Amino acid sequence: MLKNIVIISTLIIIVIAVYFPSRHARHYNYISVKDMLNELDLKWPQNNRVLKNCSYNEIVTNDEDIEISSIKDKREFKKPLLGGEFIPDDCIALEKTAIIVPYRNRSYHLNIFVKYMHWFLQKQKLHYRIFVVNQNDSLPFNRAKMINYGAKMSIRLQYHCLILHDVDLIPINTRNIYACSKLPRHMSSSLDTFRYNLPYLTLFGGAVSITSEQFLKVNGMSNEFFGWGGEDDDFYRRLIYNNLEPCRFSPEVSKYTMLPHRKEDASENRFRTLEKTKEMEKIDGLNSISSSYIIKLEELYTLLIVP
Amino acid sequence: MDENSALCCCEYYDNNYERNHILACCCNCEDLDEAFESLITRHAVSQRNKQGLIMTLQDRLRVPWKGGAKQIAFDAILPVFILPVMLLIASISLWWTIFSFTTVVFFLILISNFLIKTIPYTKFFFMWTLTSLIILYIIFEFIVIPFLEILLWENIALSVLIFGFIMCIYVMKKRTNKLPRLGDCDAESGYVGKVCCKWTNCSLCLVRVPDKDHHCVWYDCCVGKHNQCVFILSLFFAIGALVYSSNLTLTSVCHPFNLYKSILLPDDCSEVYKLFELSFSFVSAIYSIIIALLLLILFGQQLLLVSLGLTLKEWARLPLRTRLCFGLTAHRPNSKGFFKNWKAVICWNKLLLKSNVLEVDSM
Repeated sequence: MLKNIVIISTLIIIVIAVYFPSRHARHYNYISVKDMLNELDLKWPQNNRVLKNCSYNEIVTNDEDIEISSIKDKREFKKPLLGGEFIPDDCIALEKTAIIVPYRNRSYHLNIFVKYMHWFLQKQKLHYRIFVVNQNDSLPFNRAKMINYGAKMSIRLQYHCLILHDVDLIPINTRNIYACSKLPRHMSSSLDTFRYNLPYLTLFGGAVSITSEQFLKVNGMSNEFFGWGGEDDDFYRRLIYNNLEPCRFSPEVSKYTMLPHRKEDASENRFRTLEKTKEMEKIDGLNSISSSYIIKLEELYTLLIVP
Repeated sequence: MDENSALCCCEYYDNNYERNHILACCCNCEDLDEAFESLITRHAVSQRNKQGLIMTLQDRLRVPWKGGAKQIAFDAILPVFILPVMLLIASISLWWTIFSFTTVVFFLILISNFLIKTIPYTKFFFMWTLTSLIILYIIFEFIVIPFLEILLWENIALSVLIFGFIMCIYVMKKRTNKLPRLGDCDAESGYVGKVCCKWTNCSLCLVRVPDKDHHCVWYDCCVGKHNQCVFILSLFFAIGALVYSSNLTLTSVCHPFNLYKSILLPDDCSEVYKLFELSFSFVSAIYSIIIALLLLILFGQQLLLVSLGLTLKEWARLPLRTRLCFGLTAHRPNSKGFFKNWKAVICWNKLLLKSNVLEVDSM
């Protein structure tokens, strides 16, 4: 009798351990395609007598997947203004988006990314500009700090929507609109290297959108995360503490592909830094970075060099 | 020490019916002494000496067990070491993978000839199946799942396939154990007298098998009319589980792509050897695919043979030309036509039931 109970309880423990949900990739709540447009935080400027406001219905209904093999192909797009800024000339854009790309030593990826993104974004009738923030020192890569620099400049230039974007991520679905939603949005929830699944529910890295007000409210990201990993989880916590729970669009819309490269080693002290999120939020972030950086206007993007 | 007291978990009775302890495994071996002496004095080791060595080795290779240390068969324990070592070596680089897999194939060919001749009742092959199953499942659950790229329902689906496979083997063995034993006389056993099929003796299972197809060493079980449909089902489950798990693993460790927007397949595995976890799971997936391919051939062969009403032994005796025509031109005395052949295989239980009922009637 006792033996049976022991056997059955060990079996139950094994089954629970094997099928425990957090050991697996997760299904997640998302905003359905037909609600996408209502959830967007588009600001409506005053009516212009010459031009009408842009309509975004077409973008969220025109469903098309880009072939992954064709990403490196040469694509036709209108030449943007110096510094990679583009303003649609046939209507008034309702969103002013800054694409902020933290970057170091990935010129091959950057070249593919920038050309693809101009082609991809010009179809979306957005007023956008690509900021590439280059870390110019020999310390381990500090993704969050680079984003803070990019965000600081974008906010000064009155960009309403910030999209924090890794240089190796390429959006595949044409409905994936690069405008901000009312809540911060995790855009790359269906990444091909993760088998188009979401590894865990609190993931908030890769490509995310957040309005500049919200970014200011949480004091940006932490500057203390050197090396790979941790900074996105810290950012997620900051959002939760400020009642800004991120949302996601449906998996078909959020498809991304990752340009091939080696995975970087995870930084060893990322968990130690994570524990201090709450007390560090007010003093470590957007308000604690220096204001010395060099701005270079390239043909297709604005380059910020952070010493 | 009292000779009659119960054995402790590390004690056992050896070849000479004397109490022995497993820690004393290296003490007091005359054959080893002799062998070393002849090595040092450069004399050849005698045949009797060699046999004695192996006997002693087998006798002293034991694991502690309740009620006295249990003997473990030397050949049966081999796969437990070979398989992990093969996978570990294979995960170093691509060339090591090729080297390790080919070595194991050659080793298997050599040892299977040796084993079948010298120890026909060996559990080596069954242990190989069992160890493969356990190792592959452990790798999947504890290395591939923690990549956090596999959904819960995918894990459950794989478990269902594996469970189906294990149940099939269980049913096969159970049905074989129910067959009349070799020593029993015909009258005692229920359904031998029936004209349903040709009864063959199996010296390994010690039973009489109806329409014996072959003795499967990998399952350590006879395959005949009584369990052939379960055997085919088990092959189906095994192929399903192997292909599915390898696909899940490969799409996790490699770069995947969507075929026709529905099936996820791997397309670029060039980075797997850079990290041990990746390469180890990759190699296990390759091993699964190789087994699945071999099983697929067997599966197709079984389907064909059942349709034709042939057994594996009859098939092996056919000339190559007939085999190339899928055996259609062969002389098939036992075939009753496509549908009846399949009915005979699938409805074995009904046949059994009917014969039992008849038995009761005649009493």
